[in-house]
Amino acid sequence: MATTTAAITLTSADLLTDALSLSATNTLYKAGTTVGLDQTTGITKAYLTATTNVDIFPTLIEGSMAFAGKSSWVYICNESTDETEYAIITISGNVIGKLYAGDFLWMPWSQSEDGHGNNRHGDIELAPSVATGMWFSWCMVNEGTEYPTAV
Amino acid sequence: MATTTATITLASTDLLSDELSLATTATLTAAGNSTGLAGTGGLGRKRLASGHAQYILFDGDAYANGAHKIYLKNADTDAAKFFTIEINSEQMGKLYAGDWAFFPWEANADTNDIKIDPSADDMILEYMIFIDE
Repeated sequence: MATTTAAITLTSADLLTDALSLSATNTLYKAGTTVGLDQTTGITKAYLTATTNVDIFPTLIEGSMAFAGKSSWVYICNESTDETEYAIITISGNVIGKLYAGDFLWMPWSQSEDGHGNNRHGDIELAPSVATGMWFSWCMVNEGTEYPTAV
Repeated sequence: MATTTATITLASTDLLSDELSLATTATLTAAGNSTGLAGTGGLGRKRLASGHAQYILFDGDAYANGAHKIYLKNADTDAAKFFTIEINSEQMGKLYAGDWAFFPWEANADTNDIKIDPSADDMILEYMIFIDE
């Protein structure tokens, strides 16, 4: 069993009249247990040169619910330095939000079957705002990985 | 203009044969510019009963389309208890005891609500929104 921690610190001296200094740390466990997550995709670094949607974890097998109900954590960072450049992040085709230059997200991912009936199984997709080239990094720490059979 | 930063650190000494130590800091800015986010709902804490299925935490109709940021934390200590997070009626994931999440939210449609569904009675959620006004 591995021990992986995720920590966040949110700080601001001038957002409120009182200083904001919020910290949280959690250990990444398998769903409903205190057993540490033991698999990861590793950190991908990608240079994307089109504005089309990219399925960033394409190993998910369509028609399989092997991942459903498992615990998976997703990190995505837009490494662009141009403040006007962003990536639209969607789940099952529904927009979560836009990651602007330097922004990151950290979210749990159930990989549940799409509620809208298009069988996407919760795909997380990323669409760059420009085709002139943008750098991204992402990774997943998870339990249960089912890879497609080679054809 | 306010300056608010978010720093994430992912760390493990035994997940891989090499140590994992990833740290990223983002300054929270408005859509398409470098102006700091100036609005917030403050840090909230809410006790939710299981009867609050699909409780609307943030209503897409109540916010303009923008580069909002959302922080959520399950403050429970029972490893089996979780909050299911939904966005636009699509399940994003589950926050188990002690878990936190931080993600952008565009509020790009009236239906783009963030909903929370506790798995048990009397669970406590902490939450905060940083608003692109």
